[in-house]
Amino acid sequence: MGILLFISVLLIAACGLIYELVASTLASYLLGDSVLQFSTIIGTYLFAMGMGSALSRYLNRSLIYRFVSIELLLGIIGGFSSALLMLAFAFTEGFGLILYGLVIVMGVLVGLEIPLLMRIVRERYAFRDVIAHVLTFDYLGALAASLLFPILLVPHLGLVRSAMFFGLVNIAVALWTTFLFANQLSGARGLRAMCLLAMCGLAIGLAKAKQITATAEDNIYADEIIFVRDSRYQHLVLTRFKDDLRLFLNSHLQFSSRDEYRYHEALVHPGLAAVAASRRVLILGGGDGLAVREILKYPQIENITLVDLDPEMTKLFATHPMLTELNQKSLLSPRLHVINADAFPWVDSNTDSFDFIVVDFPDPTNYSLGKLYTTAFYRAVGRHLSTQGLMVVQSTSPMFARDSFWCIAETLKQAGLLIYPYHVYVPSFGEWGFVLASFHTYTPPASLPSGLRFLNLEGLPALFQFPPDMAPLSMPPNQLNDQVLVRAYDQDWKDVSH
Amino acid sequence: MKVGRRRFLGTSSAALVGLSLKSERHIEGAFVNDSFQMGHLLRDRSAFPATKRSEKFRVVIVGGGIAGLSAAWWFRKRGFTDFVLLEMNAQLGGNARWGENEITAYPWAAHYVPVPGPKAVYVRELFEDLGVLRDGQWEERYLCFSPQERLFLYGRWQEGIEPAVGLKQRDRDQFRRLEELFVKFRESGEFTVPLELGRSNRFKSLDQISFSDWLRQEGFDSDLLNWYTNYACRDDYGALAKDTSAWAGVHYFSSREAEEKGPLTWPEGNGWITRRLLERIPENIRAAQMVHRITPKGHRASVFAGETEYQAEFVIFAAPTFLAPYIVENFARLHEFVYSPWLTANLTLEHLPDSRGAEPTWDTVFLESPTLGYVDAMHQSLRSQIDRTVWTFYWALADGPAAVNRQLLLDKDWNYWKEAILHDLERVHSDIRQCVSRVDIMRMGHAMIRPTVGSIFSEQRRHLSSLGGRILFANSDLSGISIFEEAQYHGVEAARRVLNALGSRP
Repeated sequence: MGILLFISVLLIAACGLIYELVASTLASYLLGDSVLQFSTIIGTYLFAMGMGSALSRYLNRSLIYRFVSIELLLGIIGGFSSALLMLAFAFTEGFGLILYGLVIVMGVLVGLEIPLLMRIVRERYAFRDVIAHVLTFDYLGALAASLLFPILLVPHLGLVRSAMFFGLVNIAVALWTTFLFANQLSGARGLRAMCLLAMCGLAIGLAKAKQITATAEDNIYADEIIFVRDSRYQHLVLTRFKDDLRLFLNSHLQFSSRDEYRYHEALVHPGLAAVAASRRVLILGGGDGLAVREILKYPQIENITLVDLDPEMTKLFATHPMLTELNQKSLLSPRLHVINADAFPWVDSNTDSFDFIVVDFPDPTNYSLGKLYTTAFYRAVGRHLSTQGLMVVQSTSPMFARDSFWCIAETLKQAGLLIYPYHVYVPSFGEWGFVLASFHTYTPPASLPSGLRFLNLEGLPALFQFPPDMAPLSMPPNQLNDQVLVRAYDQDWKDVSH
Repeated sequence: MKVGRRRFLGTSSAALVGLSLKSERHIEGAFVNDSFQMGHLLRDRSAFPATKRSEKFRVVIVGGGIAGLSAAWWFRKRGFTDFVLLEMNAQLGGNARWGENEITAYPWAAHYVPVPGPKAVYVRELFEDLGVLRDGQWEERYLCFSPQERLFLYGRWQEGIEPAVGLKQRDRDQFRRLEELFVKFRESGEFTVPLELGRSNRFKSLDQISFSDWLRQEGFDSDLLNWYTNYACRDDYGALAKDTSAWAGVHYFSSREAEEKGPLTWPEGNGWITRRLLERIPENIRAAQMVHRITPKGHRASVFAGETEYQAEFVIFAAPTFLAPYIVENFARLHEFVYSPWLTANLTLEHLPDSRGAEPTWDTVFLESPTLGYVDAMHQSLRSQIDRTVWTFYWALADGPAAVNRQLLLDKDWNYWKEAILHDLERVHSDIRQCVSRVDIMRMGHAMIRPTVGSIFSEQRRHLSSLGGRILFANSDLSGISIFEEAQYHGVEAARRVLNALGSRP
């Protein structure tokens, strides 16, 4: 019996430590600042254990019954603690209260265990042996738990199932204690029934752990993540919240389906509707097919060439049902020709001419992307413009990145083009800017395609007005050998965030 | 993949204590472009094949580096075609040679030309010819892209190569004072590119002491300034400041006034210029033709290469001048020509290594390194997404006697140099061995002329560059500094003088 008893000590010690680690880790995950979370939770837990030990002196009768009850209770509370905390974070405002409440309850119960156990076995052994054996196995259990937790449990079971698994262990200890002390225990049958019931509950929990985690995570990250892919070039994440689809490339928001029509109508129509008898269109970037959707509203367009680096991107937007609904299957249009290539070398080697060119690249966050915003690049693009042709360039925000916006405008000008900057308000982006450029004077369109949700002829002139806080700034052009834009953009966003 | 329990336990317990082995790529490579074997045939006066054929050209150009190619370019541009250019190596270009693999073209030696100033008239004419300079505008895609240079020091990066972080006030003062001195030298108009157009005897005394002695005399003792001036001498001359004439040291810093953010560069470095020049003169070129003897005979000269005798009215000797005593009949020994030994390597990278968060630059230099760092061949690519590249690694063996270093180049095997290079790169790119698939190494015993004390105003040099006979010398070593503009200047000047002479005697 001796060794079995001490194995129980080892197991309950491990359980106690696991609950503590689970609570600390979860708090770190969810609240951040892991040093603070670990320190305060371990401190609170140890303090609660002290309270438990202090309280143990008030328990005088039926020690074994009480011990089994404590183990049972601890198994249930500890086992479900992780799931409870995740759901609490996702669905309530009182995560902190529940977290520390649970930590204190578990701490008190764990604090009761060892003093009770020592008193139960004190008649069998000399006092010094009781202390030595119980504490030895207590610390051994702690070591085992602290090694198992990071190496096996967290990576393979996850936090929810780890806690539940050790809840089961805890109850198993309770159950076997009822057999170990069967002759000294009254009411063993009731305890055993309760143990079995609790074990069933935890077993079900274990089986359903994935759903619990998913339910909680959906709510924690607000928007449901419906697609994640690492392509060779970028990290694509698509999220949905109710009717709002959002695409993130390398964690930069590309569009929100609630207001992208504002962006894409403004990107395409002020330019394209102004080109008489346009037949051929080139899009650089824009693999989401949303600009194509707008361009397809012109029946006279015979041919659209879309050059996007990432085949994963164009494939996703040609096949995913939610996305083809958004772009109205534009990427499947027989008028569209998709080329997956790096834009600058493609523009440099191709000789076709186009009536309208859309330049819609990610913002110039680094020197690699910055190459696509240089005088050399715009000169190369300009060579593809037909005599009547117009090009439009996504030019970041004239409000939040005013230097950058006017730097792009100046760059187009230095590339020998006439420029017509304009801006539009897109709620998910804020104030956003574009630059129309051509080799001839731009005349605003006399008509627009039907069915537009944002743009109308009356509103058009206002887009070209820049209020004082977005008014032109004198900036040098961005050149391959002196990329002032990348530095300006970096500085602009630093200024916004400070 | 199913992992057996034993193996799982093995690997996980090893990983637990940090003992698992990182997978290391197998690295291939070899010595390439070795030419010392041919040089040693000349040195040892080996027997060469007997002459079987004879051909006549009005002019023979010996050597297909930038000097020789520039002479040929000048001839063709002025409508003169009765000449042949003989190059010892299979590939033309000399120090402007290049290589190419499925990723990119890359340089083997010289990899840029500073944006030429107004005095470099011939270079400007060449660049107009090649479309680098159009209507007074430098073609943007041939100027070095941002970000250009970075220095790794104190475990971090800084932009530019002149140390700018971790300076004490004393260092800062000295850097400023030195720059003020260089501004004055620049304003004197004595330090020009090409060198011959500005040089007078005014600062001749600077050629009498070493650059490091001059700096000490002027009260410069900052360690960082010392590092920087030594880096400059290693980079342009393959020598330490103590082995460099102070005149040449000052010239490095005082000869250029930037009119545009440069320099001019291409993926294959100056190999791009070689390629464009070759396109213009293909029918006049004969590669793998080692000239082993030149004999002046009255109004003609004979040039012997392989089994062919080329009879010519003029010979432009554009090969390194130190070869002349071994080739030209009755030629006096040259004592005043010292050459620096170099090693360059091209590393093929299958993916980009960890660079401590920094974006790749064109030129990367490490403060704590005897080498000159590396240049990224894909930097001038127009692509936005770059995953593989080639790095050209430069190492001037400047420390110690040139002859000893030359012997070291010959004695040590490929593996020794490969390890030395990777070890140097590992100080910053800890995972470099997982990225590199190939290291090709080029050894050059006489890579470039060294502007030693007294060499800039050397009488022997002046004599050779103004020699009026049948043989005209044209290598950049006549200037005492080995840069593109000097080679081109001497090549064009020799061609111009030959055309003048031929014009007066049709």
